[in-house]
Amino acid sequence: MNPLLSIKNLKKTYPNGVEALKGVSLSVQPGEFLVVIGLSGSGKSTLLKCVNHLIDPSAGEIIFNGKDITHAKGEEVQQIRQQMAMIFQSFNLVERHSVISNVLMGSLSRTPILKSILGFFSTAEKAKAMDYLKLVGIDDQAYYRAGQLSGGQKQRVAVARALMQNPKILLADEPVASLDPATCHVVMDYLKKINKELGLTIICNLHFLSLVRQYATRVVALKNGSLVYEGSPQEIDEKWFEKIYGEGAKQVHVR
Amino acid sequence: MFGKNSYLYKATLFDAIVFAYLSTLLLFGIFSPSEENLLDLKTNFQIEFALLLLGLFTSLTLAKFKIKTLGIAIFEPPHKKTQGLAVPFYKTFWGVVLLTAFSVTCYVGIRVTEFSFYELTNREGFGGAVRLIKGIFSPNFKVLPRAILEIIETVYIAFVATVLAVPLAFILSFFCAKNMMSGSVGTKFVYTLLRGFFNILRSVEPIIWAIIFSVWVGIGPFAGMLALMLHTVASLAKQYSEQIECIDDGPVEGIQATGASFIQVLWFAVVPQITLPYVAFTIFRWDINVRMATIIGLVGGGGIGDMLIQYQGQAMWEEVGCIALVIVSVVWIMDTASAYIRDAIK
Repeated sequence: MNPLLSIKNLKKTYPNGVEALKGVSLSVQPGEFLVVIGLSGSGKSTLLKCVNHLIDPSAGEIIFNGKDITHAKGEEVQQIRQQMAMIFQSFNLVERHSVISNVLMGSLSRTPILKSILGFFSTAEKAKAMDYLKLVGIDDQAYYRAGQLSGGQKQRVAVARALMQNPKILLADEPVASLDPATCHVVMDYLKKINKELGLTIICNLHFLSLVRQYATRVVALKNGSLVYEGSPQEIDEKWFEKIYGEGAKQVHVR
Repeated sequence: MFGKNSYLYKATLFDAIVFAYLSTLLLFGIFSPSEENLLDLKTNFQIEFALLLLGLFTSLTLAKFKIKTLGIAIFEPPHKKTQGLAVPFYKTFWGVVLLTAFSVTCYVGIRVTEFSFYELTNREGFGGAVRLIKGIFSPNFKVLPRAILEIIETVYIAFVATVLAVPLAFILSFFCAKNMMSGSVGTKFVYTLLRGFFNILRSVEPIIWAIIFSVWVGIGPFAGMLALMLHTVASLAKQYSEQIECIDDGPVEGIQATGASFIQVLWFAVVPQITLPYVAFTIFRWDINVRMATIIGLVGGGGIGDMLIQYQGQAMWEEVGCIALVIVSVVWIMDTASAYIRDAIK
């Protein structure tokens, strides 16, 4: 099977001289739940943001759906982003808008500018937004302001917004890092559900190894901008753990 | 010679200016030059230029000995500021320079303003001021009806000036915000150009604009309104754009990631974050404009200022007292109301 996304020798050096990625290569098969692990500053976020061009990579190649998108510009970038939905650690909702309006923002790329600005989303789009809110179990809050919701609820709204884009892949950048352990599992369960039931490919950055074992179908580990591990989540033993997180680190179990 | 540490250019130049400034004052203290000497621009320019070169040299020498100068302390990038030991600023070289410059400037400032306790306590001058204040505090209410009509005109002048300025300032604010315009060289150029243009507009007081417009469209409220409007566009565009510069980037990233176009990102991620501050700034501006409109009348911009200047010119302090009372009450009401509204929409 052809990979949905393949990254070849990707490098990113920031203007202040920090080398966030030092040549990372990996490929993602359709339907995978790939988890990227590593310490803060290992380049996980940079990797995801390079893929959908929120950050421009310095060198390397990104091939998505059989097409080289490394040097995409302007409207091409918008089309790529529409196919790669993203959710963030800080949710990045528009807090003053209602929940349903936030979900409808997932359809901006296919709505004409003037129509979207005036708030004229079609009935079909609204029904679809409502369906996705039902899927993440938050449809009863549809007309509340997004800013009023709790962290876990906000992230579920963000997931609904992402699904609204009809994406081919979902990029999740530390989706549960600012949530408490219990809520964290709720959100991860929804991601797993989306992966299993809708067959959506997911790349997810995570801290906790216990979550990785529970949800990932495959794991890669980054350390100082380089890939240091690639394989199944079960194969990460004490030795690998120390290699990825450094000696003296202890596994934190979140059950 | 500095490579990618381009901030060193700014720092060295700044040090040189500080050096030239301090040594100029020192030379002034030593030689106490005559007025003729002070007006000799050519010689003075040469001296300043020499001092500036000497300052550049001093700064570079200090840098060679790894002494942190004031310029470096100011211009070094944030990640360098947090490095090194935490020494109280008055124990550092740059701190001493800063303190010296500040105290010398204070001293010179007091000399320049001819600050004098003798004049302040002079009996004759003080008596005149007491007469004036007495007049103002026993207002003549015969002029009250006129004053009320005029202040109503003033409030409307301020209102129209604000309302007409808002849409212009709203659109222009996006072009004056650094984070919106850092995309390419072209947009950066527009940003710099607009910023400079507005700085000029703002640095000219509305009272000057009122004089210009009263020649252009004739004396009266229209000239005053135009003057206020121009100044308001420039001020609001600056305040608005600063608000855009400190928005939370999260929603912007979130909307960008959906594949939305630039306009959609502006509308859905930026606008919701700035609407409330914009309303608050606008109401505050209206409040300021009412105060300014009273002054603008002084040069023929219409409203209560017109009336004030007439009575003041004839030293009719009781009438001035009545007009002042009207102005104070309205300004006080506007101020309280605008503070209340700004609080309510937070």
